[in-house]
Amino acid sequence: MSQVIAGQFLNGIIVGTLYGIIALGVTMTFGITGIVNFALGQFMMIGAYAVWHLTDVARLPFPVAAGLAIIIAALAGFLADQTLFRFTRNNLVNGLLVSIGLISVIESAAIYFYTATPKNMDFVLSGSWSVGEITLSRMKVLSFGLLVAVVALTWAGLARTWLGRATRAYAQNPEAAMLMGVRTSALQTGVVVYSCALAGFGGALYASLYSLEPSMGALFILKGVEAAILAGVGNLPGALVGGIILGVTESVGSLFLPVAFRDAYGLVFLVAILLFRPAGLFGGQK
Amino acid sequence: MTSIGLLVPLYLLPAVTHNEVVLTILIFTFILGIMATGFNIVFGHAGQLTMFHAAAFGIGSYATYLAMVGLKLPFWLALLPAVAVVTALSLLVGWICFQFRLKEFYFAVVTLAFAELARLVVLNWTSLTNGTLGLLVLEKPTVWLPGAGVTRIDGTFAWYWLTLTALLLVACASAILVRSWIGRNLSAIRLNEDLAQTLGINIFRYKLLAFTVSNVLAAFAGALFGFYTNYIEPAYLSVTQSLDAIAMVLLGGIGSILGPIVGAFLLTALPHAIDLTAEVRAATYGAILILAILVMPRGIVGFFRRRPRAS
Repeated sequence: MSQVIAGQFLNGIIVGTLYGIIALGVTMTFGITGIVNFALGQFMMIGAYAVWHLTDVARLPFPVAAGLAIIIAALAGFLADQTLFRFTRNNLVNGLLVSIGLISVIESAAIYFYTATPKNMDFVLSGSWSVGEITLSRMKVLSFGLLVAVVALTWAGLARTWLGRATRAYAQNPEAAMLMGVRTSALQTGVVVYSCALAGFGGALYASLYSLEPSMGALFILKGVEAAILAGVGNLPGALVGGIILGVTESVGSLFLPVAFRDAYGLVFLVAILLFRPAGLFGGQK
Repeated sequence: MTSIGLLVPLYLLPAVTHNEVVLTILIFTFILGIMATGFNIVFGHAGQLTMFHAAAFGIGSYATYLAMVGLKLPFWLALLPAVAVVTALSLLVGWICFQFRLKEFYFAVVTLAFAELARLVVLNWTSLTNGTLGLLVLEKPTVWLPGAGVTRIDGTFAWYWLTLTALLLVACASAILVRSWIGRNLSAIRLNEDLAQTLGINIFRYKLLAFTVSNVLAAFAGALFGFYTNYIEPAYLSVTQSLDAIAMVLLGGIGSILGPIVGAFLLTALPHAIDLTAEVRAATYGAILILAILVMPRGIVGFFRRRPRAS
């Protein structure tokens, strides 16, 4: 039993880092543009389908395909920002509704082009490592490492670079940042595009691990928002940890309670956190 | 009130056309219009973006049917326990949300979480709800008519008149509510919550009232929907159901009496008017929602009205 629990624990961490990468996008977009892009899960789906198409249909090697998928997701994000989100800055309700409209559009497009039948990608990296009784597929470990690295780099970039300082300054006080010469509209667009690129990267790795369907995005945005709120909105490393906590709870919890209630844990967390510790487990950066 | 008068001639429509498609679209419009009218009270007037009305809609239809079968009640009496259940749940969820001062995004997310929890419970309580398979509704509501006695509401014409009457009553009640001091207090809360509180309005109580009223109306719509379609399923509680009502209100015109009904009509009729496949229909729906928000923030009714409304 204990190795089953340990196995589920590790699986939960992998899924949790995917939640975390979406949560990171949610947290950053909310801090800088004042809206939540609820279509972020669909940008993840764009990345996943792009990578599937480029490797299984166009026969490109996975790293090249993943790179292109990130670019495609970022371009889609840029397009969405310039045509839609630009007009809903700091208007949370409108941003929410516009992104919900966008979800329908992107999902229908995916069903139209790729049908609703799940797609399975060829193995990118086969084989697994065994530690004692537990086996872990290499691709899962690699994905975990890459996602953690991306979150760490984002954090370091925000802490160390000029652009990062400008971003943090803007989150603290938009007017003051503007007076100090931060090009705010470019910054807002940049953050939206970056969050979409992150989602696309998450999607590319997701495609190498699980089967794809056009409806996959809806689940991830919900978990991403839950993880971001769990950790405290504005807390970047917290978003990853929040995602992992959520993923582990779901995986391990499903061993003891009916699997049907898997999606309920996050909801219960969400309500409890907002009621009793609204700043999140680790506190937001406001 | 005058705007509701515009709907009265619809009573004569079955004399003009017997077209089943047209009448069926209108029946769905009337039923969904009731839900949208309810949502308009809590969102359009009190300014609270709730995502709980799908849960109220679904629970309303399940509870009415279960009370009818379990307690052997006629439809209209079976509505009472359903309304009681939805009222109790709304008071609970609303109390939690408003007591902890959840606003905007956080309010939307928490009500969404409660609605999803409700859906999961309905989905998995198979002994009562029959799970994903849903329930087949064989009973119909009955009404007493002068001259005809107790009549079963069956067939398109009967349902048309019943749902139109229900919608008119709900629209009138909602118009009276929002034009009263209650409505003015709700508007005050939407426009400036802190100021409203300073002026002595008990914002907690009024938000809770608006939330509960809108959920009860959604439950009523849900009960009619289940009995009209003869089928109740857990999808009635899904997020898309909530989003539909939001889209109807935004498209038709937020804060107006006629707006939610116009929105309900357009979103019900459009997919039938143009022959579309399911994917294209969903995409059209999304595009309409986006356009409505970016181009016509006050909806169709607001777009054609010359002066912006004062409150």
